[in-house]
Amino acid sequence: MYWVSVITEAGIFAILALGLDMVWGWCGDFDLAFYGYLALGSYMTFVLAIGRPTPPVEYIIGWHLPVLVAIVLADVAVVALAAVIGAIALRNLRDIYFAVTTLGAVSALYLIVQTYTPLFDGFNGVYGLINPGQAALHLTYNGYRIVLLVVVLLILFLAYLLVQRLSRSPFGRMLRAVREDERAAAAYGRTVFSAKYRAYLFGAALAGLTGGLFAIFISAFNPSAWTPQELLVIYAAILVGGRGNPRGVIVGVFVVYTGFVELTRFLPSPASRPEFGPAMRQILIGLLIILMLRFRPEGIFRERPGVDREQAPGGRPGRLRARAAASAASAPAGPAASAPAGPAAKDGGTQ
Amino acid sequence: MGTFLVSVGIGLATAAILSLSAVAFTLEYAVSRVANFAHGEFLTIGAYAAYTGQTFFHQNVAAAALIAAAAGLVAGLVLNAALIEQFRGRASITVFIATLGASLILQNLLVIVYGAASVSYTFAQGGLHHVGPFLWTTSDIEVILSALAVAGLIYLLLQRTRFGKAVRAVSQDRALAQVSGIPARRIVMQTWALAGAISGFAGFVLADTIGTFSPTLGFSFLLLTITATVAGGIGRPYATFGGALIVGLVIQIAGTYTNSSYELVFAFLLLVVLMLLRPNGFFVRSSTAAVRA
Repeated sequence: MYWVSVITEAGIFAILALGLDMVWGWCGDFDLAFYGYLALGSYMTFVLAIGRPTPPVEYIIGWHLPVLVAIVLADVAVVALAAVIGAIALRNLRDIYFAVTTLGAVSALYLIVQTYTPLFDGFNGVYGLINPGQAALHLTYNGYRIVLLVVVLLILFLAYLLVQRLSRSPFGRMLRAVREDERAAAAYGRTVFSAKYRAYLFGAALAGLTGGLFAIFISAFNPSAWTPQELLVIYAAILVGGRGNPRGVIVGVFVVYTGFVELTRFLPSPASRPEFGPAMRQILIGLLIILMLRFRPEGIFRERPGVDREQAPGGRPGRLRARAAASAASAPAGPAASAPAGPAAKDGGTQ
Repeated sequence: MGTFLVSVGIGLATAAILSLSAVAFTLEYAVSRVANFAHGEFLTIGAYAAYTGQTFFHQNVAAAALIAAAAGLVAGLVLNAALIEQFRGRASITVFIATLGASLILQNLLVIVYGAASVSYTFAQGGLHHVGPFLWTTSDIEVILSALAVAGLIYLLLQRTRFGKAVRAVSQDRALAQVSGIPARRIVMQTWALAGAISGFAGFVLADTIGTFSPTLGFSFLLLTITATVAGGIGRPYATFGGALIVGLVIQIAGTYTNSSYELVFAFLLLVVLMLLRPNGFFVRSSTAAVRA
């Protein structure tokens, strides 16, 4: 049962990592607000599903929706928040300016959630989502945990298929083009902000979904369950697996999570110093990030270079490409044919 | 009016601490082009060094401040040699993420050594004084005076000494400074030592002003520091003092009239407005080009 729990948690965070990798791996924007999206998704799932608060407990909404509906609505709220933050942070800010702005946003969110009790009951947080649907499905506690694991892995697999498909789509290639050279991509007619913004919202939607699953998994959520710094574990996992490679990202999360769970079990943990284990874990994560960045920034699995299906040996040409090729063949004096003449003429001029 | 002036007074004290931290942050940026996320930990290290030192030096405030500065100096040297120089030539965001890792390591080393619970100094805060329209404690006055002194020293150091000239040269173009015979590596090292010492001292002052502190002291002050730095224009030491003044006053006055626990929220709002409207600081003509990679 112990490993069921570990793998479920790793699976949940793998979904978050897929979303985060779209923003960092594909677009190159180092975002620090993502753990806030998970948290908001989790909080909103609770307040939409656990019913009215009984004083002195207080929180907003307090509906009694079926948990699946609650997760979907919570995700809508998360995407709305990401739409605001993304609209501010993505328009002109890049690099450290983007990172600092998203850090500010998540710090402000954390502070408000912690201090303003009518929102999610401040420090106490929300709780009471205990194995929703267990009775309806006639399951034992252990049976329920196994079903939850299967559901999480299934959602992870679906998310993977979707992300993998997007990654190879024109949209995915456009994001990478924007990452490599924003000006060149803009010059080729790509709308940089809109491309990045759509990827950001998609990533945030995955993070919000993660929050909903996390709510079911841990059945209580309060400010001690999340700090913005928790996101660094996910970054470490993405770095290990391979930035921009969905398969690598998933492997990275599983390796880092199970690796750290195993490692921290063997660490000495004196009862008088309960903070020793978690602190040691954070130190190792910090070291992992620095060492990966220094010595193997591409991770275990490299990002797969974009494949031009027309030139790939044995690759099937796409429908559009085939049509374009057919029309080019019928009109050989197209712009493609005259293009190489440009640089050649220039070289001739300088000699 | 009375409340307003009191909050301006506290704002000035906050601004003084902020200016120390921000000027160190901007010096680090100036010579290494690094937004040092582990900067907050320099402050925390200074605060804890003074905490350890206070028992040995019988509550002597000056000795504690010196120990804090010395610890910060060592931290600055070590971070530069062990991390920043190793990442020379890499993209600025890569180095930024590496310093994030360093921040995580340093912060949790402090947790292991000192525990996660809050501690506090046993120095006397001194009585309240009316200085003109303001109401300050003795340590508030000491903080403001020491910040002014540091500002003056940095001005003299950067404008009147060979070291200062070299720092300005290296911050403009390290390679060019190197070929002109300036020992760039050593200048960068010395600047980090200086920035570390200022930060360590700032950490001690910050911890003393707040009263209690924990290993997250500097990390939670980092966002304010960055806001002040951006307000002044990152990499511009003198303007940073102006930035710190603006940020200190704005958050303190806003906090007084709403709720002081939302300080960080105001800082964030100010940061966003600054980034969008004045990304190069209050004191330069705005241009969004510098914000892009």
